[in-house]
Order: sequence, then structure tokens, then C-alpha cells
Amino acid sequence: MRMSDLIASIMANRRPLVWLGVILIAIACVAVLITRIEIDSDVINMLPKGFRSVEGLKMFDRDFEQTRELTFALRCQPQDVDKLEEFAPTFVDNLRKQPWCERVLAGSPMETPDGIRDLQAIAVPLLLNLEPSSFEQTISILQPQKIRERLHRLRMEIEAGSPRPQFELGFDPLGVIGPALKPFAEANAIEEEQPLTSPDRTMRIFLVVTNQPSLSAFECQRLMREVNAFRGRARDGWDGGPLDVLVTGRSAYVSEISLSMRYDIVATLGSSVLLVGLVFFIGFRRWIPLFGMGFALLLSCLVALAVCLTVFGRLSMLAVGFCAILVGLGVDFAILIFGRYQQARIDGEEYQQAIATSVAKLGRAVFFGALTTAVGFLALVLSGSMGFSQLGVLIAIGIFFAGLFMCTILFLFIKPDQPPQKHDWVFGIVKKYVCWSVKRPAPVLIFSLVLFLGLSVFGFSPVPPLRFEASVRSLEPRNSRASQALQAIMEKMPTRWEPVLAIVRAHDAQELHDDWQKISAHWSELLKAGKLKGFSTPAALCLSPDWMEKNRKSLGQVDFQLTRETLGQTLDAEGFSRDSFSTAFKLLDDLQTASNPNAPLPSWRKQLPKGAGWWFLVDRYFAKDPLLTTGFATPPKPVTMHEQSEQLGRELPVGGVPMILSGWSYALAEMQPWSHHQLLIISALMAIFDVSLLAILYRDFRLWLIQVITLAFGIGAMIATMKALNLHLNLLNVLSFRLVLAIGVDYGIYVVLVWQKTRELEHDVAGVIKPVILAGLTAVSGFGSLGWAHNPSLSGLGVACAIGIFWSLVATIFFTLPAMAVAKPKIWNEANPPPTI
Amino acid sequence: MRFALLVWLLFTASLIQAQSLSQADVKNLFGRIRERRASAPDVRADFQEQRTIHLLNKPIVSSGKLWFHPPNKFRREVGGNSPSVTVSNGHDLWIYYPNFKSVEDYSLGKRSPVDAIIAAINTALNLEDVESTFQISGTKVGNAYELRLLPRSPSMKRMFQRFDLKLNSDFVVERTDMVQPGGDQIVTTYSDQTRAPIPESTFEFTPPAGTQVTSPLGR
Repeated sequence: MRMSDLIASIMANRRPLVWLGVILIAIACVAVLITRIEIDSDVINMLPKGFRSVEGLKMFDRDFEQTRELTFALRCQPQDVDKLEEFAPTFVDNLRKQPWCERVLAGSPMETPDGIRDLQAIAVPLLLNLEPSSFEQTISILQPQKIRERLHRLRMEIEAGSPRPQFELGFDPLGVIGPALKPFAEANAIEEEQPLTSPDRTMRIFLVVTNQPSLSAFECQRLMREVNAFRGRARDGWDGGPLDVLVTGRSAYVSEISLSMRYDIVATLGSSVLLVGLVFFIGFRRWIPLFGMGFALLLSCLVALAVCLTVFGRLSMLAVGFCAILVGLGVDFAILIFGRYQQARIDGEEYQQAIATSVAKLGRAVFFGALTTAVGFLALVLSGSMGFSQLGVLIAIGIFFAGLFMCTILFLFIKPDQPPQKHDWVFGIVKKYVCWSVKRPAPVLIFSLVLFLGLSVFGFSPVPPLRFEASVRSLEPRNSRASQALQAIMEKMPTRWEPVLAIVRAHDAQELHDDWQKISAHWSELLKAGKLKGFSTPAALCLSPDWMEKNRKSLGQVDFQLTRETLGQTLDAEGFSRDSFSTAFKLLDDLQTASNPNAPLPSWRKQLPKGAGWWFLVDRYFAKDPLLTTGFATPPKPVTMHEQSEQLGRELPVGGVPMILSGWSYALAEMQPWSHHQLLIISALMAIFDVSLLAILYRDFRLWLIQVITLAFGIGAMIATMKALNLHLNLLNVLSFRLVLAIGVDYGIYVVLVWQKTRELEHDVAGVIKPVILAGLTAVSGFGSLGWAHNPSLSGLGVACAIGIFWSLVATIFFTLPAMAVAKPKIWNEANPPPTI
Repeated sequence: MRFALLVWLLFTASLIQAQSLSQADVKNLFGRIRERRASAPDVRADFQEQRTIHLLNKPIVSSGKLWFHPPNKFRREVGGNSPSVTVSNGHDLWIYYPNFKSVEDYSLGKRSPVDAIIAAINTALNLEDVESTFQISGTKVGNAYELRLLPRSPSMKRMFQRFDLKLNSDFVVERTDMVQPGGDQIVTTYSDQTRAPIPESTFEFTPPAGTQVTSPLGR
């Protein structure tokens, strides 16, 4: 028994059994989904594996505290700048009272008394961490004669009117804090370039570390609900004009992306089903098979999701596009099979026989169509991106099951006793066109050749270029408040380009210290040579147990009693107030304590108060694991080219220090060859697979050539339209070429295979052209509905695919068919049809 | 009876000597000051200054000469045991210490503490735009005026807690008393004021050879 007859027999005679099987499959899939579903909304996971910079980004994102940071901005009108300055402390107080707020930074800690006091608190460990010769020189200032000379000079300068001695004595009364903090200040000069107030004073920035327990989508949504509630009342106490309260940061993005994903699923799937249903109904005037098609598609989605969740553990946000893509692809099979079934019924065949005929005539085409599409998408596994890999596997599995279900389950929704459609006006029109183009193919062929050649020349020509946006911004949701806030901040604030991150992990404190000393020295040379614009490192904060022990021994030789007496006497002699120098005496006490060889070495981590603004700086450098650190190197120009990333990759590392270079700009520049070539290479490989398969399938050079030219025309016209409409490629919609190629191949297979085998043109060719047109229109509708998605990449993918599929369909109908009629002529003989083979 | 008469006399005298100025009076007063200074904006004066700072037990007294061209050019020469020359050309401010052969170089307009020096001199000798940056109250004492300026804007509040001015009948500043947020106080008395044009070169400064130049707050 042939496979088609077996399927027809089962569907006609074993319907309850098939239903039972369907229900069991659905229950199993839903159970897997409920118990295991986890959505990965992290954009970084869409980037390919195998790049150290991407690994670095993930590490920075996962292990460093700054991912829990939210940036608030207050933006006022120019006439309200003074009011904004007065309102800022009120806003900060309110922020601090929020239950989700752990720390707030409202300005440089150096500008506040608390910030200076906090810095003084960590002076002793940083002093002990100086290079031993520098330490010797610094500590010599505690000699009685030097204390007398320094205070006398400062007193004279005060008398002369200098403001400097007052700052110096206020901050560093003994003269040892300045040298102790010098490495820290030098290493952090780059941070001072980013003030928290815009030059026109209309915007103020506030950095907030939240206490959210995790960065999961639901946790971020919960946090942002509270933050948005705070935003609603954040203007309390403001009496000026309009005041914008902007918020951005990782949690804001995750919350918006995850919420927009929900919208995207509902909106795109809903509109896709609606549009596809409409086209189906216009074509076949049947509702129940339409419902059956939707059910079969849903079941194939469920199976694919369940399999992928079992394999991958979690699904990327890219999978959001999966449902709409699968609807667009899978519906083709349904339309083809049902169209042929209906044709058979019109021809007078009974229910079981009509099923057998439709499966026999188109089952092979559906199988090869599903195979080319599945293999095409499976090729995304080679991309190295977890997001792309999941998308590929999902669609491959989904499309395979869609093909299977459309040849089987779909018939459960077709009543055996339903009479065939009496008058099919769509089929009538298609039949007339097929008849005309088979009898007189030249006019259509010439017209389509001119049209497609023109479009292809425009499309494939390098001018104007089709732009590729490798920016992460192209992946952000449309109308994202977090994105708008970030853009508003970038416009107002003096921006510098993003630095390159250098991530260093050490086994112990001494190794970490030594590594950063080497890196700082090397980067200083690069700075002098003009190869870097600036850099900041945690070198000063990486304590060296070796140096500290050595310096402690030197400190033990200081006569603190004598130093204390000399300081007191000098203050009296110079007319200084002893009360104003209480911190100097306190520092002497601390130094004396630190000189005790039996006491544990002091650590700035323990001495820096928990609420100190300096933690914002510390958190930039140190991960939760204090031995995992990062430094920041700003190149002379923004990193946009791959050559720059290669040069930095050669110059920034230091021999013997394991270092991962990263940062968004650096990573995207490093991935340029991948994004520009790798995906194209994969697409090219898959195209070779497709054309090889077509060659094996057709075993006819002329038909094969016609099919290849049709594919080239489809892609050329697609690129031309994208250029004309100023649509750019991005990391996601670059996939559209692969999709369009896969679908274009399918359309060709359906038409060419039928043309090769048939001797009843009016039945088989017209009978397949109508479903192909309907399938094309439903695919265009399905992909076009992605245009409603908030995620610009997803909507871009949908629009690009809709354009490409439209042109593939047009090329198949108006080029392939007349070209085949010219290359392999067949006789249209409706009056005396030959017997069916 | 004699006590009552004494009280009445004191009350009357106080009415004569200190007459509160209304906001309209203050506005009118500044209008007349602007008119008077429009034709001769430059000022040259001798000054005596008493600074009380929290670091020192006793106030520092110094004296010298001052040249001022509104809004932000000035030269200030202090004599005595700790001489200094402070020059502002509107963009940079130099403080030269002949005894130490050193110069401090500051940039103006970067919200640095030296902006307070410019603001103080501008407020005292120019009185331009003070109504928008200060809340002003005052009294007329005889033919003279005593004004109290309380800063309105946060930027001014960072520099001054209050600023008292005494103007003579010709609207010339005789004395200023500035209290800074930390409690430090500077009382300056001006004398021998003239309003002849001042050559531009007065506000230029080139460090003498062999002088060490530092930028304490960076550039």
C-alpha cells in the first residue's frame, strides 16, 4: 500500500484513534511548557559564542554590581535651572527613602564633606599600599622639621590670600593623604570627564543601586512598577515649569523588553492568524479546515517549543518571532494540500480517494519543501549565537511537524460528507492565466524578464548600498522609555565614547595587584605615545600584601609621640586652631595602630562606609568576587572598525597577564567579519544545498536553471525594494534572505514538480498555482504582521520577509511558469484530457 | 519722666538714622547706581581686609590696592609680610607669591572655589545683576545705605551665607562683610576710590622668570 493510501485510510477510518494521539501529544507538550518555560531576554545571548569579547560582556553583565544600577535624570526648562539645583536634594532624599533603593550618587563624592571624610577613612590602607620608595618619601613628611616647614609655608600662603592651603589643610592636614590617594586619583581621571550635571544645567543625573534580588524579567518588571510609581510622585515639592523624570538602566530595559515580548506575541500572532484566515477563506470559502490548519500549526508550535525547551533549557527572545514565522511557513502546506484535496473533490473523487490524491500529488513537494526550509534554518546553528541557534532549531522542528500534521491531522477537520465547492472564481481566474501563459508565454516572459532584470541590477549594484546596522540599538523595542531616557541623557551630557573593558581575574590579591601594576605601566606608555586617550584602572585599590608588610615595617620606625607633640606645638606657634586639626591627630593614631606588626593589615573594603558614594566607582572596577576586576581604556577614536579592535587587541594586553578585552563597541567591531561575512557564508552554503537538491530533484538542467534564476530574481527584487524604501539590515533581519530563499525554493518545487509529471495542465498546474498564490499571500500576511511588533528587529525581519516572499511569488507565477512553457512546452488540451497517471 | 524722655529721644534718633528700604526703594537705588556707573565702570581702590577663618585662631589682616573692570577682570595687590598679586583676565586667575617665587593658576567658570573671589568683587564693586542673584534688604542711615544680600541661587549659596554692603551717599562701596557657608568671614574696607579708565595690560599676567607655576585645581 502506498503511503498516501495508508494515510487516507487511517484518516478516513481511524479518526477517534488519531484524535486520541493528537490529544496525548498536546497534553505532553503543554506539560513540558508549563513546567520548564524560561524566557531569555538578554540581548547579549543573541551574540555569537567563540568571541572573547562577548564572553567578557556576559561576565561584566553577570558578575559586576553595576547591572543593578538605575540612572535617573531630571530635565527642566532653561529658566528653572536654579530651582532644579535646589530641588535635587529633596529628590535624592525621596529616592533614599524608597524600599528598593540601596545607594544614591547625586554628585562627585569629592564635592561633599561626607565624600571627603570617606576618602580620608581609606587613606591608611592606600598609604600602606604605595610603592615602598614612594611610601618612604611620603612618610618622611612626618619628621618634626618637615611638619614645621609645611605648616609655616601654608600659614604664609593663607595670609597671602591663596585659597589652596585651606583646601589642602581641610582635606589632608598631615600631608600624607594626598600622596596616598595620588595613584587612585591618577587612575580615575577618566571618571571625572563625566559629570552628573549637564553643561546647561537643565539636566541632573542620579545613579541608584537597587536591592533587587535578581535580574529576571519578572523581578525587573516588579521593580519598575515600583520605580514608575515613584516617578509619579517624584515631582512633589517642585514648583517650576515642566520637569521630566527619566529612568534608564538594565532593569528598565529588561522590564520593557519582556513586556513588549508579550505584546509582540499577542499582536503578531493575532494579526497573523487573522490575515492568514482571511486569505484562506477567500480562497476556499471554508471555516472548519481553516480552524484545522490553525490547530495543526499550534500543535506544531507546541511540539517545537517543547522539544527546544527540553534541549536548551530556556528560550531566547528571538523565539518570539518563531510563532509568526511558523504560521507564515506552515500555512503553505495546508493551503497546498487542502487546495489539491478540494480540486480532487470537485473532480468527483470520494473523501478517502481525495485525501490519497492530494497527499500523493503534493506530499513529495511538501516533504522537500519542509526539508529545504528545515535545513536552511538548521544552518543557523553554525552561526554560534545561542539566540540564532535556538531560532533555527525551533523552526526546523516546527516546520517538519507542520508538514507532517498538514498531511494528516488537517483532514480531521474536513467533513467526509461535505459537498465540494460548486463555483470557484479564484480557480477560474488562475486557470485562465495558466492557460494564457502556457499557450502564449512570450509576452509575460519578456515583461517579467525586463522587470526583474531591472530590479536585480538595482538591487545587486553596490550603489546605493544596503546599510547594515550592527548597533545594539537596532534590537531595542520601539518607543522604549528606557531607550528614550538614555538618548535624552546622551544628548544633554558631554559624552565620551565607550571605553574598552579589560577584564582581569587573579588567583590571589598579590597577583591581582601585580597584574594591574603591569597593565597601568603599559597603558601609561600607550597614553604617552598617543595610542590611548585615557584610561582608568583599579590598580590603586588592588592591595599588595607584600608592599603593605614592607611599608608597615618602615612605619614602625616613626616616633609617633614626637610627631604628635611637634604637630601640636607647630599649630600653636603658627596660630592654627587645634580643633580644626582633630583629623590629623586621628590619622596619627590610625597610622600608629597600623604599624603594629601583630595587627591585621588594614583593608579599604572594611573601612569605606557602606553608603559611601565611592562604592559607585569601586563597583565599576570590582565584581562580586573581588579578584575579578575590570579596567577601562579609551582609545583615541571611537571603536567602529574591525581593524581598530584588532589593533587594540594587539596593544592593550600585557605579557603574562590573562586579559579579556570587551565592551559593546569593541565586541561589535570584533564581530564585524562575523556579521558581514559569516551569515552570508552560511546563507551561501545553504543556497548551494538548495540548488544541489533542486538539481537532484528535477534532473533537468533547463528547469533547474529557471528555478535558480527565479530565486536570484526574487532576492534581487527584494534588495532593490529594501533600498528604495530605505530599510536597513540588522542582526536579525539579515536572516530574511535565508527565509526568502527557503520559501522561494518551496514555491518552485511545487510548480516545477507538477509541471514535470503532469499531463493534465488545467487540473494539476492550475490546481497548484492557486494554492501557491494563496500560500504566498498568507506568508506575506504572516510575515507582514510581524511589522506590528515593538521589537524593531522582529518587525524588520517580518517586513523584509514579506517583501522577499512577495517577489518570490511574483517571480514564480510570472517568470517560472512562462519560462517552463518555453523551455519544456506542454499542450493545453482541456476538451480531451488524457487519463490521469 | 527723664527715663521716658530718654527712650523717646533714642527712638526718634533711631528712626532718623536707620530707615528701612522698601523693595521699590531698593530697585530705585540700584537704578541710580547703574546710571552713575554706566559712564565710568572701572574702579581703582585701596582696601583693608580682615579674614576670620576656622583654621586659624585669630583673624588675618591685610591691605593693598585693587583694580577692577566689570564684569570679571581685576588685579589685587597685597602688601605686608606675605605679599601677593592676584590677577584675573576673565578666563584665568593667577595668584603670585613673590616670597615663594610661585604662581597658582586657576581656570574661572568651572564652579571652582576661586569663582567666589570674582563673585565677591563683582558684587561689591559692580553691583550688576545682584537683584537677580540675591534677596536684598536694606536701611538708609543718614545719607548712607546698608544693604544685606542673601543669595537666591544654589550656586551663590555655595559661596556666600550672606553679604553685607555699606554704600556712601555717592553710592560708592565703603565696606563689605561676607560670611561664607563654613562660617569663615571676610570684612573689607575700601578707600580712595577712583573711576578713571584702567589700561588692559593691568589685567594681564606673565609669571616672572624662575617662578614655579602650579594648577592646584587642574586645568
